[in-house]
Amino acid sequence: MFSRKRWKEAGTAYTLLSPTLFVLLLFVIGPILFAIYLSFHKVQLLGGASFEFVGFDNFTRILDDTRAKIALWNTVKYVAIVVPTQTMLALVLAATLNAGLKGEKFFRIVYFLPTLTSSAVLTLIFMWMYNQNGLVNHVLQFFGLPTYNWLGDPSVALNAIMIMNIWSTAPFFMVIYLAALQDIPDSLYEAAELDGANAWHKFWYVTVPYLKPVTSFVVIMGLIGTFQLFDQSYIFSGGSGGPNNATLTVVLLIYQYAFKSLGTMGYAAALAFALAIVILLATWLQRKFSKEESLY
Amino acid sequence: MMKKKQWFAVGMSTMLFGSVLAGCGGEEKTAKNENKGETKEEQVEVTLAGWGGNPMEQKLLKQTLDEFEKKYPNIKVKHEVISDQYMDVIKTRLIGGEGPDVFYLDAFEAPAMIETGVLEPLDDYVTDDFDINDFEKPLLEAFKGPDGKIYGFPKDYSTLALFYNKKMFAEAGLDVPKTWDELREAAKKLTKGTEVYGFGVAPELARLYYIAESKGGKVVTDNKATFADPKVVEALQPIVDMRLKDKSAAQPNEVGAGWGGEMFGQQKAAMVIEGNWAIPFLQETFPNTEFGTAEVPTIDGKKGTMAYTVAYVMNKDSQKKEAAWKLISFLTGKEGMKIWTSKGFALPTRKSVAAELGYDKDELRAALVAGAPYATVWQNGTNLPIIMNNFNNQFVSAFLGEQPLAEALKKAQDIANKEIEAK
Repeated sequence: MFSRKRWKEAGTAYTLLSPTLFVLLLFVIGPILFAIYLSFHKVQLLGGASFEFVGFDNFTRILDDTRAKIALWNTVKYVAIVVPTQTMLALVLAATLNAGLKGEKFFRIVYFLPTLTSSAVLTLIFMWMYNQNGLVNHVLQFFGLPTYNWLGDPSVALNAIMIMNIWSTAPFFMVIYLAALQDIPDSLYEAAELDGANAWHKFWYVTVPYLKPVTSFVVIMGLIGTFQLFDQSYIFSGGSGGPNNATLTVVLLIYQYAFKSLGTMGYAAALAFALAIVILLATWLQRKFSKEESLY
Repeated sequence: MMKKKQWFAVGMSTMLFGSVLAGCGGEEKTAKNENKGETKEEQVEVTLAGWGGNPMEQKLLKQTLDEFEKKYPNIKVKHEVISDQYMDVIKTRLIGGEGPDVFYLDAFEAPAMIETGVLEPLDDYVTDDFDINDFEKPLLEAFKGPDGKIYGFPKDYSTLALFYNKKMFAEAGLDVPKTWDELREAAKKLTKGTEVYGFGVAPELARLYYIAESKGGKVVTDNKATFADPKVVEALQPIVDMRLKDKSAAQPNEVGAGWGGEMFGQQKAAMVIEGNWAIPFLQETFPNTEFGTAEVPTIDGKKGTMAYTVAYVMNKDSQKKEAAWKLISFLTGKEGMKIWTSKGFALPTRKSVAAELGYDKDELRAALVAGAPYATVWQNGTNLPIIMNNFNNQFVSAFLGEQPLAEALKKAQDIANKEIEAK
């Protein structure tokens, strides 16, 4: 079984892998283990680091933390709206751009542009447009629609971030869909046409089922990305999660506990750990519900 | 973007790990520096960290530091500007053992920092020459630890004053309000629909603290939130009523401004309560807005305002404490403070310097200086950041009319105290 040759081969392989393994250990696995270690301790880093083992105290504290509940609720609301919307939008955009229109390439580029912008810059530009006297309100007013104080009103602040994120993330998934669309054999559509299918039938009975594995991928990536919403709400609220906790997300709360208040690093790690479990669960549920798993 | 977010999760933990590594590296470096110092002459380099100010302020600080280096030729000052997230950076650097020798510390953050023991008590360094009694007492008290030792000397401060638009007041034929009731009446007359509001409000605890306590209630008692006290609610209710009933007050973002000074400068508010920082801002950015300042209107005949102060503090792990003290004592000494506050960007915390520069007679700054003796210093124990955060969150929602003030404050108090207990 373990001949010399095999040992030698394995040795060579691991030698070649060692730089990658080292980096992985140092920057991925190490920090993860350290974060787990932290989550079971009360940590005070400033002024002579102290680690006091507290068992599951940090985790039971989450259950009693009103702001953690608000953050989780905001995040779930955000995920529940953003993921389906951006997935559908991406699919529709991709389908229209694949229909063989004139100037298709140009529109592909234009649609993809939002994704290329850094999210920090994007947020600042959007905040400018969301200003009480900004572009968005002017457009709404022009069409006779009600205007909002997007930045200051707790009831719309999170929606403002949702709109911005859908706008910027959908094109990214559109590109993935676009690649998959090119893969659908024309023969399927021809066969459908022979059976008397119209454009809508073709889309619904050929395109959508064929794209299922890609949709699965897009939804999972979307779930992970949206659960980790941080930068936009951080910039939007200046780090506070306001107004009235409306833009407080779980990751923003983790940040606040880790860096803003002293001595709660352990609790922040516990929250991060809990968030990882929530994401894991959401992903698992998604996979459970989508039957097509073989291709992904 | 996706990638960035994943990186953040990884980055969080990496930063922790990294800081441990940085800690090891840091010690080696300082050891090397010391060796170098011995072989050459007694040349010391002290690092000074602070946040940046406007270009004028930076120039003034540079001038002060040049003066210092002239006086102590063997000490070189390395000035580092931390432009964003100042406290995060300072804390991380202190944890990593890479903290600056001398740095700025806001009074608001001081109790928590003193508690961790990363600051050097300065009492043993003080000489008679330094004249500690010259400082405005409440400002110095802000940097006293529970052990009675002084951990920092205030470099400057600002109080709040009423800024009013002269033209709007003249048009409406109004006098500058002296009491809060007068202010409320004036605000009604100055309001023009949603174009101009009589009064611009910053719905934050940092700005409302003295009002909250004006009727005898306490915002913080024994390091816990007690602002749901009916007396506090009664004191704050007029501000909420001004927005909801009189429609004469608004917060800056309702008119598309970033903060009170901008709202006032854009002539969307006839009155705001702001500090010294708004004076140069208004003069430079909105030269057409003619304004005056007055002391904050009285509530029930009592004067009140806030004071915000920042001190120079010393890192306990500093390797060059003697030189660091020389720097602090120069910067907060009569000579250094006089240069630093000479242009009026900041007000001097030393009575002798204030008298010499004559800000109590300055047209715009007199109202601010007058507030110093009765001002409430923005600081109260180690839990104020938690208390502030929860207050701000719920107060805004009451201010916007989503829930009654008493209910909002009760909720905020409960959450704050729960958070404090869990700590």
